[in-house]
Amino acid sequence: MGEPALSRRGFLAASAAAGLSITALSGCGGGSDGGSSGTTTLEWWHIMTTEPAKGVWASLARQFESQNPKVKIKIVALENEAYKSKMTALTASGKLPDIFHTWGGGVLKQQADAGLVEDLTDRTKDWAGTLLPVAKEPYLLDEKVYGIPDDIGMVGFWYNKALFKKAGIAAPPTTWSGFLDAVRALKSAGVAPIALAGKEKWPGMYYWAYLAMRTAGIDALQKAADSKDFTGAGFVEAGEHLKELVALQPFQKGFLGAAYSGPTGQSAAVGNGKAAMELMGQWAPTVERTEGKGLGANLGFFPFPTVEGGKGALTEVFGGGGGLALRQGAPQAAVDFLKFFASAGTNRELVKKTGTLPVVTAAEDALTDPNLKAVQAQLKATTGFQLYLDQAYAPAVGQEVNDSVAGLVAGSKSPEQVAQSITKVAKEEQ
Amino acid sequence: MTSTFLPDKRSGPDTAPPAPAGGPAPGRARRRVLHWLTAVSFQVPALALFGLLVLLPMLFALYASFFRWGGFGMPSDSIGADNFTRLFDDPVFLGDLWRCLVLVVFSLALQLPFALAMAVLLNQRLRGRAFYRMLFFAPYILSEVITGILFSMIFAPDDGLADHVLGGVGLDGIGGEWFSDPSTVMATVFLVMMWKYFGFHMMLYLAGLQSIPAELTEAAIVDGAGPWQRFRNVTLPLLAPTLRISVFLSVIGSIQLFDLVWVITAGGPDHHSETMAITMFQYGFKRYQVGYASAISVVIFGISLVFALAYQRFVLRRDLEGATTTMRGGGQ
Amino acid sequence: MTIGQKRRGRSLPLHVVLVAVGAVMGVPLLYAVFSGFKSTDQLSRNPIGLPDPWVSSNYTGILGSGDFWRMLGNSTLIAVGTTVLVVAVSALAAFSFARFAFRGREALFTLFTMGLMFPFAVAVLPLFLLLRSMDLLDNPLGVILPQAAFGLPMTIVILRGFFREIPAELEEAATLDGCGPFGFFWRILLPMARPALGTVSVLAVVGSWNNFLLPLLVFSQPDWWTIPVGVQQFQGQYSSDTARVFAYLVLAMVPALAFYSVAERQLVGGLTAGATKG
Repeated sequence: MGEPALSRRGFLAASAAAGLSITALSGCGGGSDGGSSGTTTLEWWHIMTTEPAKGVWASLARQFESQNPKVKIKIVALENEAYKSKMTALTASGKLPDIFHTWGGGVLKQQADAGLVEDLTDRTKDWAGTLLPVAKEPYLLDEKVYGIPDDIGMVGFWYNKALFKKAGIAAPPTTWSGFLDAVRALKSAGVAPIALAGKEKWPGMYYWAYLAMRTAGIDALQKAADSKDFTGAGFVEAGEHLKELVALQPFQKGFLGAAYSGPTGQSAAVGNGKAAMELMGQWAPTVERTEGKGLGANLGFFPFPTVEGGKGALTEVFGGGGGLALRQGAPQAAVDFLKFFASAGTNRELVKKTGTLPVVTAAEDALTDPNLKAVQAQLKATTGFQLYLDQAYAPAVGQEVNDSVAGLVAGSKSPEQVAQSITKVAKEEQ
Repeated sequence: MTSTFLPDKRSGPDTAPPAPAGGPAPGRARRRVLHWLTAVSFQVPALALFGLLVLLPMLFALYASFFRWGGFGMPSDSIGADNFTRLFDDPVFLGDLWRCLVLVVFSLALQLPFALAMAVLLNQRLRGRAFYRMLFFAPYILSEVITGILFSMIFAPDDGLADHVLGGVGLDGIGGEWFSDPSTVMATVFLVMMWKYFGFHMMLYLAGLQSIPAELTEAAIVDGAGPWQRFRNVTLPLLAPTLRISVFLSVIGSIQLFDLVWVITAGGPDHHSETMAITMFQYGFKRYQVGYASAISVVIFGISLVFALAYQRFVLRRDLEGATTTMRGGGQ
Repeated sequence: MTIGQKRRGRSLPLHVVLVAVGAVMGVPLLYAVFSGFKSTDQLSRNPIGLPDPWVSSNYTGILGSGDFWRMLGNSTLIAVGTTVLVVAVSALAAFSFARFAFRGREALFTLFTMGLMFPFAVAVLPLFLLLRSMDLLDNPLGVILPQAAFGLPMTIVILRGFFREIPAELEEAATLDGCGPFGFFWRILLPMARPALGTVSVLAVVGSWNNFLLPLLVFSQPDWWTIPVGVQQFQGQYSSDTARVFAYLVLAMVPALAFYSVAERQLVGGLTAGATKG
């Protein structure tokens, strides 16, 4: 869950951390419901705990405060996992922060169904048209708007051009069999073909999800979720293709215990040239630079290959982003803040300074990195969009997808068992 | 042993064993009520704190375990004992039980004997024993989080200290994956547990050893008993109460293990180091299946309780046997 | 002389064993200390040797940041608060358990000891809801009160055992001198029980100091984070800067180890009384 949190890892001088947390919190005495002096205090929970995003987001909050002298913003920035634990507990207690980070999809829907999230359909319709349609999709539930995006992206293969060349691979593969050939070629050239963070489960889920999109088709994923039946032939086939890949032993040493970030993690393995590629979202280049050395001009991107005989197309993408939602009954100032945060000016700053992809059409000119431009082009030309499965589905189902696919990758579950256990959990969820 | 306050020197028939038993005192009903009130008033703060912050959440967990509940609002979808039947059909939970058993066996077969050996060793007059005692015990007071992070770095594949040391002595074949390999993760976790907790048990034993009267050991020497016989027939029986506590704490600790494993592996890879408390946390905080998670917590509590009761009975019997053994040993 | 030599000869293998075990116990700690004195680059080039050159910026950077000191203060405040509360409340209850016979005593005592069987992690969600409804989130009391409540069973069990051993004659003498129950408790029992109180206090401090889950859930503001929470967050934030994480771990260990070296006697005494989870 929550991949994008990892997208902005970076170094942060200890002194800067101290300074920031002090400035970010200064003058935030009272509660969230406004003091006697007529100021409104908004509590804003997000997951940007690393630079540069942490600092940029804090300065944006200050900018908003200076434009709206009667509004104070109290930032609570939590590390990804801590944020999720806390949100679970807060959701159970029935009161969410005024403004909070969301990945949309099933989790947001549960919160909305419980009556905890503000319906923004009418309150944002004047300006929501400036946003990219694909970016808004995760927060559109039953045709109502429950969140405003600040980031969007897709998952694809990020690869090391030099290592591909060393293995004699002329061009990135576009079909699954071509992909398996490339893996074999890399292996025989003595290169670990793929880096995978087995400890965290969600990176493995990407393979199964993309394979299911390519074999069963993107509609089948939605249908399976609605009918609570993942046992269709396409899903089992997806598992079998993944099993083919696993059988080649393509992953780096110790991958089952590897984290995504950290000096021995998936991202560093690619960033330091120890593995040739990873299947990851748009934040991958940034993280490869902060966790490892980064690949510079050697870094390339190619979309997930198609599977021969499958229903999916190369232009159908899998991904997601980040957004902000409001608690039920949040004050107007919070809506104003969303408008400010989704404005072209703010978005341009985010694109330039934090390496995200633009969510506002007018901010596209701020994008300069060639790889990210390629991702952006792919996203705009997309013919189908599937949100991360662990976000799109109800949390229990999403976690079961992650969990059982991890079992498949570790060799303890068969493709049929994966399909069955996901179906079982989906049925238990009423 | 115990005295009671004067107004009720002769307490009622329903009072507990340590109090001197006596006949009812008819004319003192009022004083008895007063006495009761005095006694209970000392309990009020503890009872309030305990009732509100321990019992209430416990009872709520019990209540929630009979519902399908996602943690939103109050539980309303009652499903009887379904959560419990599902639990004993869940391969992950059954695996948790198995791993718990493995940990208990490892602890009893390796950790505690090792702790005992070290305690016997450090009970001798040896140069530097105070230092060793302190060093062996020190990990116990470090937090699980710090220990976990430290060892996940030490056992990092290839780059960690463990692999460098093994590589340095030409044993690189052994190392490698540690926490990453389903077949070695439990053993590695157990190593860390041993590093952290054996000193605690050693301290318990040391204290027990020091309370064994020297005359008994000397008498055994006079009787011509060798070191092993002395250990077997004098030390071990007299150490029985300490061993009993240590085993009890070790088993309860294994049943409830959470922090350390959570920080190091979060239960992975592929559930191979998952404990009951971790499964509970996963369901409660990641899958929003709070009713099911509550059922797990009820079962953890139940297992601990059943163990405690069974153990008490078993141990009481053993203690009596230990006493007779000692007498026989002394008589020889 | 001959006896001395003989003894030394016999104890040599024992010393070898001790040095070996000591190395296994000590090396991880020393490794962390030395790694903290390297830069991350140096650490990957020279993982097991002594630092060359010695880089102290990891340590000084953390010590100079203010965050670390604030967390130290928070951990201390919470540990002291928890300890005072749990010891005071438990002493009253243990006194009543040990020196009074009253209806319901055993049932009540059993109730408290059952608390020993209830793992903290299990109660955390309902506890969180409760704290929220009591408005105790982001408030040190939100950690102090539950910690004290969960510490009651162990503290009561130890103190009860100790209080029972104080001779009844003392109590009778005190009663003849006109002491009420509370007077006896306050003026005679507590001063006599100082060693036991010291022991349970140390145990409470250690338990509170190392608690992770509760402060993590209760405090969302970094202002209130305690050391274990801070360590975990720090590791998440600087995961690629290994040497700095090592330095942080070492600094986070220092207060606990320092406390241990001062309070060793009490701590060990408490364990002897059959205390704490293992």
